[in-house]
Order: sequence, then structure tokens, then C-alpha cells
Amino acid sequence: MAAVAARYQEFQDLNVEVLTISTDTVFTHKAWNDSELVRMVPEGVPFPMLADLGGEIGSLYGVYEEEEKVNFRGLFIVDPDGIIQATSVLPPPVGRDVDEMLRQIQALQHVRATQGAEATPACWTPGQPTLKPGPDLVGKVWKVWKPS
Amino acid sequence: MEEKVMVAKVGKSAPDFEAGAFSNGKFTKVKLSDYKGRWAVLMFYPADFTFV
Repeated sequence: MAAVAARYQEFQDLNVEVLTISTDTVFTHKAWNDSELVRMVPEGVPFPMLADLGGEIGSLYGVYEEEEKVNFRGLFIVDPDGIIQATSVLPPPVGRDVDEMLRQIQALQHVRATQGAEATPACWTPGQPTLKPGPDLVGKVWKVWKPS
Repeated sequence: MEEKVMVAKVGKSAPDFEAGAFSNGKFTKVKLSDYKGRWAVLMFYPADFTFV
């Protein structure tokens, strides 16, 4: 939570809104923000913290764990048309990587901007070469891209 | 009538939802479809007072 909150500006710069979702009530969200998170990010959490009572939203997204009655660490990146473009799920003890979240968003936005004419190879970050999928590239990726 | 099951999958529409939220000091309501036209990141996590 604090890791993303601390870098919220980078999400905003990419025209991305962040919504966090747990089965806690809004009152618990407020208590956590006011008592602990403000010690890590001075202004507090700058995006909405949603109360998924009973795990209804988590169930819709397939990340609600019935036995523990909590949501797993599911990440869903939704494009401006409301289409899910990326998902990943981690178990409760393993945290996410904010750099990787931002990298995936930038790659998805690049592909969208080129209307699929360009693809981003493994470990791509903005500024690095992209691939132009098509018949000419088949069997020739080795000429234009190598693992670092 | 057959019940339609929403499945969250890459390439499919994100299931819409509305929920109460704590946002910048206020209690409010958030609806996913209100964010159309912008990118949105949904971050699920197990519980407050743990790390994300």
C-alpha cells in the first residue's frame, strides 16, 4: 500500500487511477491510514481504498479465498475501454513490485498507442527497441533482439 | 434463465462493481465504470495493517 502510495505521482503521470480493495470496512481503512500509513507517506494514501465486504468484488475477479475470507494479492490493469489487459495474483505473504507494475502499464500503453503494430519484448522498458510483428519477423527475432 | 458468470480475464471487460471507499479523508462510493476513459489499476490485498 505505502509502496504504491509513495509513487502515486508516477501512476498519475501515466493517466492511471489506483483502486485498492480489501475485505476491511471503510472505518478500518481510515484507522490504518491515519495511524500507520501516514508515518510512511506523509499525506496519507492518495487514492480510494475500497471496502469489499464479504469479498463480493474479489469473487467477481476470482481472487477471494473462501477459507480465510480474504482477497489474495490480485492485480488487474484495466484499459480506458474497460478491458482487462493484465492480471497477476500473489499469495498473501509475497508483496508486489511497483517498478514491474509501472513497466507493464507503460508496455500496454505503448502497444495500444501503436494499435498493436509494435510489441514490447521481454524486460522492455520505455526507450528500448520494440518489435514489429509480421511475416518478416518470423525466425528473425535474433537479428533485432537479444537477451541482455 | 441461465445465470451469467462474470470471469475476469485478459481481453475481457472488467466486471463492474460499486463499493464504499475511504478516499482522501472522506467516506465515498466508487464505481469502476466511472473510470472509463482512463487506465485503472485494481490492487486486491488480504487485510489492512499488513503490507501490499
